[in-house]
Order: sequence, then structure tokens, then C-alpha cells
Amino acid sequence: MSLSQTSGAPPMPGPRTGRLALRRRDGVQMAAFMVPTCVFLALLTIWPFLYSVYLSLHAVKLTTLQRAVFIGLDNYVALLSDGLFLRAFLNTALLAACAIALEVLVGFCVAKAFVSLAHLRWVGALRSLFLMPMMVTPLIVGMMFAYIFNPVIGIANYLITEAGLPPVPWFGNAGAAMVSILLITVWQWAPFMMLLILAGLLSIRADLYEAAKVDGAKWHQILWMLEIPSLKGIVLLGVILRIIDVLRFFDIIYVTTRGGPGEATMVLTLYAYQQNFQYFQVGKGSAAAVVILGISILVTTFAVRFLREIEHD
Amino acid sequence: MTRPFALRDLPALLLVLAFVLGSVAPLAWIALGAFKPTAGIIAMPPVWWPDFGYWNNFRDVIVEFWPFILNSLIATLGATALALLLAVPTAFGLVIFQFRGREALADWILSTRMMPPIAAAVPLFIIFRGAGLIDTLPGLVIAYAGFNLPFAIWVSMSFIRRVPKELIEAARLEGCSWFEVLRHVVLPLSRSGLATVATFVFIFAWNEFLLALFLTTREAKTFPVVISSFIGTGRVYWEYITAASVIQCLPPVIFSFFMQKHIVSGLTMGAVKD
Repeated sequence: MSLSQTSGAPPMPGPRTGRLALRRRDGVQMAAFMVPTCVFLALLTIWPFLYSVYLSLHAVKLTTLQRAVFIGLDNYVALLSDGLFLRAFLNTALLAACAIALEVLVGFCVAKAFVSLAHLRWVGALRSLFLMPMMVTPLIVGMMFAYIFNPVIGIANYLITEAGLPPVPWFGNAGAAMVSILLITVWQWAPFMMLLILAGLLSIRADLYEAAKVDGAKWHQILWMLEIPSLKGIVLLGVILRIIDVLRFFDIIYVTTRGGPGEATMVLTLYAYQQNFQYFQVGKGSAAAVVILGISILVTTFAVRFLREIEHD
Repeated sequence: MTRPFALRDLPALLLVLAFVLGSVAPLAWIALGAFKPTAGIIAMPPVWWPDFGYWNNFRDVIVEFWPFILNSLIATLGATALALLLAVPTAFGLVIFQFRGREALADWILSTRMMPPIAAAVPLFIIFRGAGLIDTLPGLVIAYAGFNLPFAIWVSMSFIRRVPKELIEAARLEGCSWFEVLRHVVLPLSRSGLATVATFVFIFAWNEFLLALFLTTREAKTFPVVISSFIGTGRVYWEYITAASVIQCLPPVIFSFFMQKHIVSGLTMGAVKD
């Protein structure tokens, strides 16, 4: 990194330049402020990433790292022919698509309700209560639903059978387990989307609503012409953050289904974790980890570009 | 703006109440379980209202697992301190200093936030094993601080930007070093913002599970790792699970009530202003 003003900078700031004066030894101070962090971050993120790439190109086990043999892209090829990995990939994609869509939908409805109740003094307390799930330790969320959805002692099926309906096999069969995981995710993260959408709705100028009303706009016209365009940016931001989270999705699955029944709820991070730390196949596990990172980077770059375009409009 | 409740508010209120109930009921149910003896937790039909004088589950969890609660606390507080110690000067530098590549550096730091921990897991495990950091609290502190640094830097920047530039210039003209400017001008003025950053890092580290799962084996296990072992192939320790869940969730839930105002900007890394 080169510092543009370290030497020969005037001792006084030019009053209208808006820049601050830098003195001769400032370069040292600046370095002291920035370098430790950069080194630390590089050691914890860049170096591990490069090492992951290296491992993913080798036939190697965690227990015998010295005997790594270069095999090119074979680990990636092996991933593509591994049904479990493909299942993990599809499940993660499904979770990202369905869960986040539901979160936006629920978030929007609840945010609209909160906006229309904004004049009530105690509505803030209700909002705090609604937001509680997103602060709860994800692992505990898993534990909690393992208790509630338990086939024998769970209260969910008790209430359902009391209402005269057949019991639900929450984590019992492949289809149901995926839906249950989806519900749990939405339960925890719809409040986050609600909060973002609420912030977005409150920032729409009141006179725009007034104008729409004067023009006799119907509710769906207000929705499509005013609210959705105004919320696009903030919702997209929420979606990006959530996709990155879904790619890391691990804790809840780990304590509820652990990828099962069979391989029905296997997700990418759990797959990589098991390859690396249970089967010690760090070549294949690292390849999976690199794929996860690749998707993260792709999603982020694409979304950031899209976000900039919206801001330019 | 406040006006009393009117009948036309009813549909919105019912919708809100239904969703609030959906949010709170599962949490309440496991919290109620914490006050029941094992028989009561697994009773069918359920015991709806426990005897709140029954604290044995909490006592048992604390007596048996307090070292791990302490581990969680130390690792979390240590990581929060280390993350702030590194993040605040860097954030200050990125906001105040003019140097070539500043934007690129800021973008790079932000992009490391996108790094999924699993992508760094094996290399991290290998370095930590080499450095003797596996199953130690310093190891956890380093890992947690590292993964929360991008967040801490980015959000700190948004708070430091609000410090009036004139004050900083004045301090410089008085002959303050940059360190003194940070110490005596910027820190006092952005104290509440930095407290928010600290709280978020605390919650993220406190809630963390995956890193602790492979970086600890026995001595340095965090509370979530211990809790995850209450459920498994053998007997499920519901009486531990319920009480431990309450203990584990208490800090983040309490903090979140105090941080209502900052939650949006915190969770979007300052992209959305409060």
C-alpha cells in the first residue's frame, strides 16, 4: 500500500480542501493503525482460503497431511458424481429460495400491519417480542424445535391431535423434515426481513401516499407503483445477507435431523463439515468448502452490482 | 401522532398478535419446561403451568457445567475486546486517512465478511493444531475476533464518520498525534456507537457453534457445544436442555431489548441507517 501524502505535506490543512493535515511521522502511525488488522484478517481468511484451494487439489486425509498427492480437479469431479453432495446443493438452493421468499412475504405483511398500528403507543413492545427469535442462539432454536416437534413428547403434535387432526411426522420423513427445517428458518429470520421492510416503508414520504390517495389509487396500485419500487433496494440487501447466511446453515440441522432422515436434509456446510472432520477427507471437504465460498462470492458480486444499479435509478 | 385504538385497527392488530404469539410461544414453552422436573417436561398431556419455585434444573446445569459457561463468557468477552481493539483504529484510519487504495482496502475488509467459516475450517484447524491453540480459550478468542472483525470495522466506520471533522482538525492543530485524536476526540464522541458494535460482536460470538465444535475437544468447550451433546443417540437430557437453553439465550435476548434502535443498522452492517 502506498501512502500518497506522507512526505512533503503542508503542516497546515488547506481550509477548503476538506483533507486533514498529515505530518512527517504520520505514515508510521497510520501503519500502526491498519497493519495489525490487515495481517490478522489475511491470516484468518485469505491464507486459509488459499490453503483450502490447495487441499482441494490433492488426495489427502486430515490424519496424514504430509502424504498429499496432487490430483488436479479430481475432488471436484468426485463431488459432482456424489449424490449426497448434489442433494446438499439442491437442499441449500431450495432453502435459500423458499425460506427467503417466505421471509419476505411474512416480513412484508407484518411490517404493513405494524405501520398501520404505528399510532398506538404500546406497539413498540409487540415489535420487540416479535423480534426475539432472531437473537436466539441458532443451536438453541434447533434444540427447542427438537422438543416441540418430538413425536412422543412434543407439544405440536399434542395440539394437532387434540384438534382432531392426524399427527405430523415433523422430522420423521424426507418431505416433512425439509418443510420443518424451512419453517424453523422462517420462524427465526422473518423478523429480520420485517425490520428491514418496516424501515423501508417508514422512509417512504407521507406526501407520496397522500398524492396516490388523491389520485384515487387502489391498494394494489400503491403496492406495485409505490411500495415495491421503494423497497427493492432494502429487500435485496436483506436477501443478499440471508443467502450468505443460508450457505452457512449448520447449527439447527446439526441438532435436529443431522442431514436425515437418510440424506433428506443434508446441506452444504454440514456436508463439508462431515467430509472434513468426521471422515477426514479434507481434499473433498475442502473442494466443497471452495464451492460454498465460490457461490458466496458470485451471489455477493452480482447482488452488489444490482444494488448499485438500483441506487443509480 | 398517537391516537387511541379504533375498531378499524382490529385486523392489523389481530395479524400482529398472531405473529407475535408465533414468535414467542416456542421460546416460552421451552422456558416453562426449565421449571419442570423431568417427568413434567415429558408428560403427556403436557403440564401447562410449572411450579416456578422449582429451580433444580438450573442448579444442576450450573453446578455441573459452570466451567463451560465460564469458557463461553471468557471466549466471548475476550473476542469482543480483541475485535474492538483491532477494529476501532482501523476504522478510524479508513475514515480519516487519505491514502491510495483506501476504498479497495475497505472493500476487501467488507468482502471478508462473506467468507463462510467452513471455507476456512480445515486450514484454521491445522494452524491451530501446529500452534497449540486447539482446545484453548486464546484459540477461540482469536478465531471469534477474526471472523467478527470485518463486521466490527465496517460498522465502527459508520459511527466514526459522524464525528465532526472540525473537531479532529482542531485537535491536530493543537499538536495531537493521531493516537491522541482517537483517544481524546473520536472515542468519547462515538462511545455509544462503539458500544453497539461491541454488543453485536458479543452476541455473534456468544451464539457461535461451528467454530467451537471443531476447535475445542474437552477443556475449552463452549456452552453451546456442551448443550449440543445433551441430545444424541442415547438418552436425551430434557431437564438440562430446557434450563441450559434459557441460560444460553438470556444475554442475547436481554441485549436485543436494549438495542432496538440500532438493530437494523447493526445487522445490515450500517448499510441501513437507524
